Amino acid sequence: MLLRKWWSSLRHGLFRVSWARTGYRAVHRRYDVIVVGGGHAGTEAAAASARVGAETLLVTQKIDTIGALSCNPSLGGVGKGQLVREVDALDGLCGRAGDRAGIHFSVLNRSKGPAVWGPRAQLDRQRYRHFIQGELQATPRLEVLEGSVEELLVEEEVDPGRPGRHRVTGIRLGHGPPLEASSVVLTTGTFLSGSLFLGQTTSPGGRIGDPPSSAGLSRTLKETLGLEVGRLRTGTPPRILKDSVDLTLATLHPPDQHPTPFSFLNTHTHCKPDEQLPCYLVHTTPGVDRVVMESLHDNSHIQQDTKGPRYCPSIESRVLRFPGRRHQVWLEPEGMTSNLLYPQGLSMTMPPDMQLRLLRQIPALHRVEISTPGYGVQYDYVCPTQLSPSLQVKTTQGLFLAGQINGTTGYEEAAAQGLWAGVNAARSALAAPLLAMSRTESYIGVLIDDLVTRGVTEPYRMFTSRAEFRTLLRPDNADLRLTLKGFEEVGCVSAQRYSEAVRVREGLQEAFVTLGSLSQSASDWRKTLETSSISQSKGGTLTAMELLQYNDITYDTLAAAFPQSLAPFLEFSQRLKIEAVYRPHCELQKKEIQRIQREEGMSLSPDLDYLSLPVSLSHEVREILDRVRPTTLGAATRLPGMTPAAIVHLLNFVHQMNHNQNKINQNQNSRTHRKPSGPGPREGGQRAGAVS
Amino acid sequence: MWDAETIFALSSGHGRCGVAVVRVSGPASSTALRSMAGLTCAMPPPRRALLRTITDPHSREVLDRGLILWFPGPHSFTGEDSAEFHIHGGPAVISAVLQALGSLAGVRPAEAGEFTRRAFHAGKLDLTEVEGLGDLIHAETEAQRRQALRQMSGDLGRLYQDWSYRLKRCLAHIEAFIDFSEDELIEDSVISQVDGWMCALQGEVESHLKDERRGERLRSGVQVVIAGATNAGKSSLLNTLCQRPAAIVSPVAGTTRDVLETALDIGGFPVLLSDTAGLRDSPDPVEREGVRRARERVEQADLTLVVMDSTLLLPDLQQAPALLQGYIRSVLPPQDDPHTVKCVLVLNKVDLIPEQQRGQLERELAGTPSLPPWCLVSCTSTSSAGLQGLLVMLQASLKALCGDPLSAGPPSLTQTRHRAHLQQCVAALVQYRLFRDRDLALAAEGVRLALSSLGRITGRVGAEEILDIIFRDFCIGK
Repeated sequence: MLLRKWWSSLRHGLFRVSWARTGYRAVHRRYDVIVVGGGHAGTEAAAASARVGAETLLVTQKIDTIGALSCNPSLGGVGKGQLVREVDALDGLCGRAGDRAGIHFSVLNRSKGPAVWGPRAQLDRQRYRHFIQGELQATPRLEVLEGSVEELLVEEEVDPGRPGRHRVTGIRLGHGPPLEASSVVLTTGTFLSGSLFLGQTTSPGGRIGDPPSSAGLSRTLKETLGLEVGRLRTGTPPRILKDSVDLTLATLHPPDQHPTPFSFLNTHTHCKPDEQLPCYLVHTTPGVDRVVMESLHDNSHIQQDTKGPRYCPSIESRVLRFPGRRHQVWLEPEGMTSNLLYPQGLSMTMPPDMQLRLLRQIPALHRVEISTPGYGVQYDYVCPTQLSPSLQVKTTQGLFLAGQINGTTGYEEAAAQGLWAGVNAARSALAAPLLAMSRTESYIGVLIDDLVTRGVTEPYRMFTSRAEFRTLLRPDNADLRLTLKGFEEVGCVSAQRYSEAVRVREGLQEAFVTLGSLSQSASDWRKTLETSSISQSKGGTLTAMELLQYNDITYDTLAAAFPQSLAPFLEFSQRLKIEAVYRPHCELQKKEIQRIQREEGMSLSPDLDYLSLPVSLSHEVREILDRVRPTTLGAATRLPGMTPAAIVHLLNFVHQMNHNQNKINQNQNSRTHRKPSGPGPREGGQRAGAVS
Repeated sequence: MWDAETIFALSSGHGRCGVAVVRVSGPASSTALRSMAGLTCAMPPPRRALLRTITDPHSREVLDRGLILWFPGPHSFTGEDSAEFHIHGGPAVISAVLQALGSLAGVRPAEAGEFTRRAFHAGKLDLTEVEGLGDLIHAETEAQRRQALRQMSGDLGRLYQDWSYRLKRCLAHIEAFIDFSEDELIEDSVISQVDGWMCALQGEVESHLKDERRGERLRSGVQVVIAGATNAGKSSLLNTLCQRPAAIVSPVAGTTRDVLETALDIGGFPVLLSDTAGLRDSPDPVEREGVRRARERVEQADLTLVVMDSTLLLPDLQQAPALLQGYIRSVLPPQDDPHTVKCVLVLNKVDLIPEQQRGQLERELAGTPSLPPWCLVSCTSTSSAGLQGLLVMLQASLKALCGDPLSAGPPSLTQTRHRAHLQQCVAALVQYRLFRDRDLALAAEGVRLALSSLGRITGRVGAEEILDIIFRDFCIGK
């Protein structure tokens, strides 16, 4: 009986019955980690926490919406695709979910160089949700519970070995009994004091069709924990009926003929190449501008001066900011069998009748019908400079935040933070040192470092231009950068994925040695390859590695000439080509990276009192340091307003502290035999990479 | 910042001094010492002064004769291999040695406080010494800031700021094309537009680097040529300036027939002063050859003193400006524009003009802004009036030609550094061109490098600034 019910719920994608039962049992248990929220951040956090080894509970208002794509039905893109690859390299969910749910794959920027390729896919909403839900259900140590969090439980009694004034002890759902946990990850998205805007009407909530979250959580954060909270806004376009669109008037945009999967584990996408659906491109007209201007007085969202993003603006703000321009609108499929289209670029908050009028100003949409109107959301975010690079709230032991609550926008940004917050929440609960990701090794590191050291003034989105070491942080090498570390140091990667990454690394290394050892004169190369790309004037000898740097010489060409030595590595042919071209540039960047890493190795204790520190610092600098509380000297140097002199004084201070600390340790050692101590959350400790 | 690099700086105090100390620290110190002090194999004994001829490592040109010291690491101030050059304190020598060091591979000018910071990292300073370090760096950066401000307010500053702004814009447009063109209306023409901008920019920086002969001038002397009609008193002027009868003077027009050179020090700047034959058409083949040589000298001159007998302006002084302009045109090479060419107008023999008319002449000249800098002098074998004014004017012109290596802070070092950064900038712009069609990410890397090189002169550029330009210039909707 039970089995049948479970099966039927699986088929319909409704897990409420079985999951709620799990949850019900759960109420009487104590967890290592509780994750609040079932969006991109929450699901990655819960899964990562369980992978690291923590008993984890995911609490969501509606089990059915776990893994829902609230806004655009797509994943990846330029900058964002890099994040998806990195999340996947750390064994996260979204890459594999994208491969499963994708119905239109394309690698953006194909002509602009592999460092900035942007793997992207249109998704089938249902398939995505099903995959995520299925993955969570199959994850050991992970339980899911439906309910609304009424209160975050905190204590003043803190762990004296760690910084912070408060300690999280769990959550309370409704009026039920408390659920205890060592760590809590909040991924409430737009639900923290969220309000929905449509025309002149405003209603509480974070997503249309879902109940608003309780005010209790927001109150705990602001009042009990004293966190500084800001307000941001975002919006979503109306969904339109595909049948009502005259697609003959739109430009067809086909997918890649050979879909490229997101995940390092997949060689194929679930969707077959010829099953993929196209997207369509249309443009706004002067009529659209007119409707925007006419509806302004009926549009309370656009009138309010809450900071919205410059790069994902509503059509209203685009028209206001760049009047008279033609804007692109992408009509994206919502699913394999869905009758809806998503008009990317037309997020709007005017009254529904005006929305319809606006849409119909576009020729292809002259008879369009709306299924759900667009709307705006305003929500609270916690100023992320109050977080450590582990995404733990600096003042509150065990409280981690990820996703839009930190002022970001986008699924990929949320997933990346969720994964990292989940990892650290689990490590904190398991008494392992917390970890930071460097901006020199990943986009995830860039994202988190930007958030915690610079804060946000508008919803933060990833661009490749934010990464100083863009040529190193490529989508093709995310596994080499992160999978090995993810297994060896972080503990969030499965042994299976790890051994595959090791195999790849060794294969690449072997291939490079072989390429470097294949050497002959330029004229011999010209003969062997019958190529004109080696100029006649070129003399001397060239290795196959050097040759691979030439524009039109592929690995396959070389392998055809030297099949015996090179054919065994043909599976890596694209990666070898990319690596050969980029290696000389990356060598240059490595010096700069070493400098940054040295500075990042010097940690600044999070509870330094900068205002009274006995160091010669200007008042301005003290205030900056006090506000941001950088965790490393490297982070301090990147703060706007810091002076070289202040850095030297800080550097001196850190040396002095370490010096004194060593002395104390030596004295202690000489007096007592130290007990071998297990790993503990030593925030700001000496271990490289271990930070609060 | 990377310890793998070797740094150098003028360590002795700024300002004129008898002996200047140039310090070098880092792994290439021994190479620098060997290649510039003519040490063929063995290094000199540590911490022992040696008298050597110091030469340019590439041209082998002798720069100075001075003491060298070798401090192998870790027993040195910075803990690294270090070397010191104790050289003569003249600006030309200092500038030459600094430029020679800067031309070595892996050697660059030190940043503010960098020696001390390296010493600190190597644990060579005790904590009380370190206390002063922050203040020192503050003082240095403050001085640099002020110096930069001073330089930045000038034409050169405006030029660098303009480049930096244009480069930022190029980068922003490339970044916009990389990050947004797949979703937005950013067309390929954006990149071809950037190509045009970059090409123009590269040309300007390259010609700036080529034009800027200041260091060479300072080393080899500024070519100052005295030119003008016969009997204007050119040779008298030469004799007065070098305070000895170097040239034969006589009332006979055409006395000087060949070019006569003497070396001079004017306000600390080395000057090679040439007296030339008076310019006139002459049937005498010897004098004709003299005039040809005179014209050739004027063409090669860094600065021309156009000398005129001021009595020729009498009696109608209202016509003086027009007459003078015609005169200057006749002396300077025809293709040169007297407004841009470095020249000083010397009106000689003013003692022969009555006091009252002299006043009127001065007023007429003052009312003609299109004239080059001018001054009234009288140089005879017995008297020399107005010479002080001429010297001040010459010094100002020389300073403009050579830069002032001794004003507050070490600008000669700054200039060496500017040059290094500008050269890096050009190299990075070449990378853009090289990769533009192959790999835009690597091409953009070139622009990023170029901008950070330029940013070291004009101030740093952050990712946010680039994003600001992107969002200002493009409507990004996704």
